[in-house]
Amino acid sequence: MENELFDLEQFGLSNEELFSRVDHSETESEKITAPRYSYWKSVFRVFFRNKVNIIMLGVLLIVLLLTYVYPAIVEYDPYANLMDGSAKHLTPSAAFARFGKSIHWILGSGGSGEPTFDAVWYGARISLTLALICAAINMTIGVLLGAVWGFSKKLDMIMNEVVNIVGNVPYTLLISVLVLVLSPSFWTMVFALTVTGWLFIAYFIRTQVIIIRDRDYNLASRCLGTPITRIATKNILPFMTSVIVTQIAIEIPSYISYEVFLAYIGMGIRDMSLGRIIGAAQSAMLTPGWGYEFWSPVLVSAIITIVLYVVGQNLGDASDPRTHM
Amino acid sequence: MTKYVLRRFLHAMISVIIVVAIVMLMIYSMLDRQNIFASDPQYSKVSNNQQVVYKYRKWQDFGYVDYITYADYLSQLQKSGEIDQETYDKAVSIARTPDKDTDIFKDYSAKFEAYCKENGYTVQRLNAIMNRKKLASGGAPQYFAYRDRPLWKRLVSYFTSIIKVDNIHAVKEDVGERGLTFTLYDPVYGGEKFSPAIIGNGTRNKYLLYFDNQFPYIHQNLVSINLGVSYSINQGVEITTTMTRSQGSYVLSELTYPSGLTEQSADDLHSAVYQAGSREVNMVAAERFTDDYTSVQTVKSGLSRMGYSFTIGIIATMLAYLLAIPLGIWMALKKEKLVDRIGTAYIVFIMAVPSVAYILIFKAIGAMTGLPTTFDVESKSKLMFVLPIVSLALPSIAGLMRWLRRFMIDQMNSDYVKFARSGGLSEGEIFTKHIFKNAAIPIIHGIPGSLLGALTGAFITERVYVVPGIGGLLINAIGAYDNGVIVGVTLFYAVLSVVSMILGDVLMAMVDPRINFTSKAR
Repeated sequence: MENELFDLEQFGLSNEELFSRVDHSETESEKITAPRYSYWKSVFRVFFRNKVNIIMLGVLLIVLLLTYVYPAIVEYDPYANLMDGSAKHLTPSAAFARFGKSIHWILGSGGSGEPTFDAVWYGARISLTLALICAAINMTIGVLLGAVWGFSKKLDMIMNEVVNIVGNVPYTLLISVLVLVLSPSFWTMVFALTVTGWLFIAYFIRTQVIIIRDRDYNLASRCLGTPITRIATKNILPFMTSVIVTQIAIEIPSYISYEVFLAYIGMGIRDMSLGRIIGAAQSAMLTPGWGYEFWSPVLVSAIITIVLYVVGQNLGDASDPRTHM
Repeated sequence: MTKYVLRRFLHAMISVIIVVAIVMLMIYSMLDRQNIFASDPQYSKVSNNQQVVYKYRKWQDFGYVDYITYADYLSQLQKSGEIDQETYDKAVSIARTPDKDTDIFKDYSAKFEAYCKENGYTVQRLNAIMNRKKLASGGAPQYFAYRDRPLWKRLVSYFTSIIKVDNIHAVKEDVGERGLTFTLYDPVYGGEKFSPAIIGNGTRNKYLLYFDNQFPYIHQNLVSINLGVSYSINQGVEITTTMTRSQGSYVLSELTYPSGLTEQSADDLHSAVYQAGSREVNMVAAERFTDDYTSVQTVKSGLSRMGYSFTIGIIATMLAYLLAIPLGIWMALKKEKLVDRIGTAYIVFIMAVPSVAYILIFKAIGAMTGLPTTFDVESKSKLMFVLPIVSLALPSIAGLMRWLRRFMIDQMNSDYVKFARSGGLSEGEIFTKHIFKNAAIPIIHGIPGSLLGALTGAFITERVYVVPGIGGLLINAIGAYDNGVIVGVTLFYAVLSVVSMILGDVLMAMVDPRINFTSKAR
């Protein structure tokens, strides 16, 4: 702009023609002429600025397609080749030779002659659904209760003791008792993972709320007579979005990991989830030529969890308003 | 501070009792009690009525029910002098079916039923089971009563029997003069070597206090902790014994028994426990011993379950702290640079890959280097410890690194650091004297937890490397419906966890003078 100063004389016009008076408007003067700021738009702008995130989202999309769409369009019967001794524990090349080239056999076949590739994605669908449902339930209850917990001193005293007690009941024991009493079904597992799982999330949120609760701006807000619910929803929750998103990023992989662990110790669910497949194939790990059965589900669960974790973490970073500059 | 710690400790103990109560409620009330016979070989050997009685007797042993037989009731009457031996003998025989009852039996059975009704027992009479005019195997008639043991009673009896103090009236049988003898020359070592010991007669253990050449050199049998008895995974053995008894092959040494017999043996005479009438039934015991303190344990070459777990756990923990702290600092110093990125990638890997999978990956990598991948108690090689320790340390390094980096970076942006920098302090000084000291406080808080946590073992690592450790105890017990072990191990874990929480707080307050638990919160 430096050299664009005009000499007004060159137009040869009078001041009346050059300038006109603008009326003073009360409402206009209240408007702030700052660039428009939309929270979520900024979140995504920051999120997509990082090229890694775009790649990760692409991988996530492929994983989701394989997990939810592939099993829906492909017919899969794990026991179709059960009686066929020559179809079991095949390497990909042997499976191609045996069944012909198709996508089903690119990871070989498993212990009952099932195509490993199909088995893995059917398992992934169960595991991922379990993780998503558990995370949704635990996060909803945990965040809502944690917010209340952070504000109420009376509740804090009771709930701290509850955490002390529930935290010391072995989690494995709780889950196995529930699985034995009910049945080793999908919904039992959801129940077992959520019956106390929300408590620890609520405790985490409570600590965060307590940290923010007594900040000066909230004190000021309270002095001005803002009701607690409004402080919680308008002052504190937006501050916690990044914390919550980060927590979700940790939660979802942890359920998959825990499900694998439970299956490994023989307390998993009846359905052939990723955990069950890994648990069943662990003896195949070191058997020469059988490695695909074990490493494929491990790799798939690792890819799912890493992608979800990285996307979640970066979304968590992006949802922190301080990164929006 | 002491007062605060004591109060915290009291609170924690109450929490622990509630935890045990919850666990008892879960396993005794929610699970099918028939499950405990799933892996009991004895159960399938007994049949008919005898099996029913066996079931109730076992349920009594494991705290499900109170059980009393008609004969027990009569002998109780006899002891209190209400009936004489003759009446007892006449009344005690149960007829095959109720219509063949004798009059005297009817009288006393009515009394028995009245007594049971008064005390809330349910009476059950099983008629004889016949097989072609002869009693079928285990088919003798049975007459008994039982009542469910309420939770509070089970809880009280459990907690009151945890600490056992040996006394000179512990043995019921006649053992001659009861008392304690103090000797300066332990008879186990031939009675010539100077080695003080306290020997009891009438106590459960013969040696109450003694010295030997094993760490911590002075041992006692006076006070023992009894967490309960295992039912299926280590039948009839106390949980503390299961955890601490050494494993492996016998270590033979020249041993002189109290009778003067000298033999190559692995017996540990210091562990002698009273066993009534053992010399009468056991020739070998009669040959070796001069009293009925004949039940001895054996000296074995390996460590105990807890010993292996603790050795691996403690080294892994120390290794983790030693490596993670400098690495975490390095990552924080080189924030957003290559080191930080590699470190973050590693942390993401550990967090995101299921623990079962990465331990198996470590094992596969370890196998390529030629290190032993399975644990062998007999082997003298120390190399077999390497892979379990590394597998245990690597994940905890990731966890520690993550937090230390986070705390350091949070501190780096704080005002006092900017002030120190503007005051002209060197970066090194700022890092060591300001940032690290503050960032280390939350890390220090976790140290007692990790050290005590080494006692609980690591399930997956131990299973993958076949370490005979303690990590699988709880999970195996759950799988085998071993209620005694589940409760005992839960108590053990819960106590460790609350103690390490309190110790962590104390340690934190010691390191950081600003933290004070005694004064009222702001």
